[in-house]
Amino acid sequence: MLFWVIAAILTLGASLAVLLPLAGGTKGSSAAGDHDLEVYRDQLTELDRDMARGLIQPAEAEEARAEIGRRILRLGSASQTGAAAPRPSRAARLVATAAVLAVPLVSWGLYGELGSPDLPSQPLAERLAKSPADSSVDELVARAEAHLAANPSDGKGWDVLAPVYLRLQRYTDAVTAYRNAIRLDGDSAVRQAGLGEAIANAAGGIVSAEAQDAFEAALKLDPANAKANFYLAMGLAQEGKKAEAAAAWQKMLGQLPPDSPWRSAVQQALAETTGPAVAAGTPANGPDAQALEAAQQMSPQDRQAMIETMVAGLDDRLKQNPRDEEGWMRLIRSYVVLGKADQARDALGRAVAVFGADSEQAKKFTAFAASLGVTATE
Amino acid sequence: MVETGHFALVLAFALSLVQMLLPLVGARSGNRRLMAVGGPVAVTGFALTALSFAALAGAYAGSDFSVANVWENSHSLQPMIYKITGTWGNHEGSMLLWVLILTFFGALVAVFGSNLPETLKANVLAVQGTIGAAFFLFILTTSNPFIRLNPAPIEGRDLNPVLQDLGLAIHPPLLYLGYVGFSICFSFSVAALIEGRIDASWARWVRPWTLVAWMFLTGGIAMGSYWAYYELGWGGFWFWDPVENASFMPWLAGTALLHSAIVMEKRSALKIWTLLLAILTFSLSLLGTFLVRSGVLTSVHAFATDPARGVFILCILTLFIGGSLALFALRASRLTAGGLFHPISREGALVLNNLFLTTATATVLVGTLYPLVLEATTGGKISVGAPFFDLTFGPLMLPLLAIVPFGPLLAWKRGDILAASQRLMAAFALAIAAMLVAGLFIDGGSVFAALGVGLAVWLVAGALTDLAVKSGVGSVTPAVMLRRFAGLPRSVFGTALAHLGLGLTLLGIVGTLSFGTEKILTMRAGETVDLSGHTLRFEGLFPRKGPNFTEDRGRFLLISNGNADGEITSAKRFYPARQTVTTESGIRTLGLSQLYLSLGDEGKDGSVVVRLWWKPLVTLIWGGGLVMMGGAAMSLLDRRLRVGAPARRRKPAAAAASASPT
Repeated sequence: MLFWVIAAILTLGASLAVLLPLAGGTKGSSAAGDHDLEVYRDQLTELDRDMARGLIQPAEAEEARAEIGRRILRLGSASQTGAAAPRPSRAARLVATAAVLAVPLVSWGLYGELGSPDLPSQPLAERLAKSPADSSVDELVARAEAHLAANPSDGKGWDVLAPVYLRLQRYTDAVTAYRNAIRLDGDSAVRQAGLGEAIANAAGGIVSAEAQDAFEAALKLDPANAKANFYLAMGLAQEGKKAEAAAAWQKMLGQLPPDSPWRSAVQQALAETTGPAVAAGTPANGPDAQALEAAQQMSPQDRQAMIETMVAGLDDRLKQNPRDEEGWMRLIRSYVVLGKADQARDALGRAVAVFGADSEQAKKFTAFAASLGVTATE
Repeated sequence: MVETGHFALVLAFALSLVQMLLPLVGARSGNRRLMAVGGPVAVTGFALTALSFAALAGAYAGSDFSVANVWENSHSLQPMIYKITGTWGNHEGSMLLWVLILTFFGALVAVFGSNLPETLKANVLAVQGTIGAAFFLFILTTSNPFIRLNPAPIEGRDLNPVLQDLGLAIHPPLLYLGYVGFSICFSFSVAALIEGRIDASWARWVRPWTLVAWMFLTGGIAMGSYWAYYELGWGGFWFWDPVENASFMPWLAGTALLHSAIVMEKRSALKIWTLLLAILTFSLSLLGTFLVRSGVLTSVHAFATDPARGVFILCILTLFIGGSLALFALRASRLTAGGLFHPISREGALVLNNLFLTTATATVLVGTLYPLVLEATTGGKISVGAPFFDLTFGPLMLPLLAIVPFGPLLAWKRGDILAASQRLMAAFALAIAAMLVAGLFIDGGSVFAALGVGLAVWLVAGALTDLAVKSGVGSVTPAVMLRRFAGLPRSVFGTALAHLGLGLTLLGIVGTLSFGTEKILTMRAGETVDLSGHTLRFEGLFPRKGPNFTEDRGRFLLISNGNADGEITSAKRFYPARQTVTTESGIRTLGLSQLYLSLGDEGKDGSVVVRLWWKPLVTLIWGGGLVMMGGAAMSLLDRRLRVGAPARRRKPAAAAASASPT
């Protein structure tokens, strides 16, 4: 509200700046000739000064004086022929009215397009000072960070902050926070598993040796820790030990309580490991860590939709960049897994066309497709 | 407050449209009410732009990350000074500063222009309003600093660490005052073209503006050069980088304008040429803005590249340069030429100066644009660097510098070159002596060094000779001489100081390039190194934590004559927010010379690469710039300029007298 009042006052002031000179009487002013005369007069006195200082020779000074004199004479004749100012015309009044109207119209119209009048200023100090109930997650985190910067040995603080970082996808910060929590408040399965998850996500979803160490530490403290078990199996899958990974996940399914949130994630992972390489672990071409995490929490329909989007994306990439052998094979396999035999066949046809029917690659594609039960049309 | 600033900006744009049209229509139709609108609108427009700028600066100071521009270029942990200077340490904010200065100068014309002919003032304000409108529109459509983020991020991305320096507080504002100051000269020229005549008072108004703009541009360039020198850690002060050239070209053209405006003011000659120069100078400023802001060039100045911006600035460029030159072609023939002069005269010398300076400007322009044109047309990438400019710009400057001392000693209209030469004999002898000393007795002397030192001494001695001759040294008693010296017009001091400053800068450049020494070595803590008679002991690397960075600070002890003589520190800083490393060079000024060192990569065994330079007389490069600024300031104080815009005190009476019949 205050903003609109200020805006109105500013507009009023700006309009007045246009309106007042238009409405006011014009004070008498000198003609241009007077200004020129003043300058010429000054040039004459300056000439005398220069001559006194020897900056100009007397003969030249005389010449210059004559030049200036001629200019003054010309000025006199010009000012006599100068016409009186014409009366304000209707056109001028029209222009003036348009201008006065333009100021509020242009400014309010344009501001309406560009501005965000409802958004108040948000200086940082003010944001951090307001009550926690009104703060956003980011603000709470910033406040916690400020607190921890002042009291870095507050293990409890790190312990609270670490999973928040993880959820905000600030994985590197999460690693630091978990390490600090473990150092200050001691080991726990939850913290170690969280540390492992943070390390893995910071590396783009790869369960590295460092992450494995953390998960194993967690299992030592709590052999039933679902997160640690899940990620260790994921690590196996990434190493290519798919059978072992599948066995580990199967075992988890047997142990997990029926209402565990991990159940669907495990089933999903199982489906992918036994199926195509859309599964975890190939960050370069497969879904990124973020998408994977999202997929774990999705309903089956949503998950299917997401996979289809990703496959469609791959298809598009191949249209732009068709000489990608592996890409074609992945695409064919993906369509088979999705149960879309026609599209798989179509992809095979396109792949063969790209490399030429007689090429090495075409033979490889055909053989590969045949192994999945897809044969070329015609 | 932020939205108020945004609204004020939009309102200022609306007013600039009014300022563009009404005074112009008024001047065409002789309607004095319409003409009278220009003044108040210009002042109000400035007030609104200032409000807008203050709002943005306030958002920066308070780390209001709901403003996208603040979020992108600030950080809550930055020291307050960098929070505030960060306001213009980015594309959007710097453009806002640009229009702030533009409207400020427009307001100055409105406030102090009461003694200008009415139509001239109206036209000047209209042209100024047009420039303003174009840039306001540019800001609002492609570079709006007031775009908001909702929800607001909690932490900003930090200002580019290279810009986190005091230089950012000084260099851009000075440079913009220079660039934009020339817009007034441009507006005056275009106004004269629109009117089809040049009033006698025209030059009296344009010269002080040229002086002001030139003074700030000189300072801006000198400051930028010093900043690059100590911040980039290479020890160089000028790189012939396109961005530097972009500021150097208006300076060269502005210097020419400054000199031709003198002729015009004193002798009403060279009118058309002066007008053209004023147009060209501002056009080069605009070209500089285009090169730097369009993303055509990659440099620390090209904050973010966005094709839409480049196209928009190109349109502005075409409109103003093309429009004004077309107007010039149409109207120049209607303007009358002025007084006559002999080729060997003060006027003649100034014409010669203009010829050299404009040719030099053209050379730099070619060297700057040629690689860009080549890349655009053939895709080939070439780099035109120091060798090109040394071969073209250097030879053009040598004769110009050699004749500089003659100019002020020649009389107006018809000069006596022989008499001037006789007066310069002492300066000439001094220059020859300096050449011999530099060439024969100093280690590292070369033909270039000898010539350069001689030329520099010639300039300095020539400037002093001018003062000595004008105060009558040798022909009158010391008492009379002192009185005459004190009574010299300020503009004479201005000329002498500016030329002296030029000589000092040249001396600094030659001294550093010819007699400087350099060493690169790896050092371990406790080791010492000798460089040009100075001994440095490396004390080791010490980690330190700054407000928004961490650094490894290398400490060196300077040892003179066996005694410790203070410490020099150089650091490598790491800014986590941008994951950037910068080098803070260590500089110790000894007399006019400097010892410069910067840290390189760190070895595994605790050793570190250290680069050391001994830069004799290097401070003169920028000191000369300051002296030049002083000369311009001195000239501004000249009595003539106060009279020039016809005397305010005497005027009202005359005005009232002439107005009474109407």
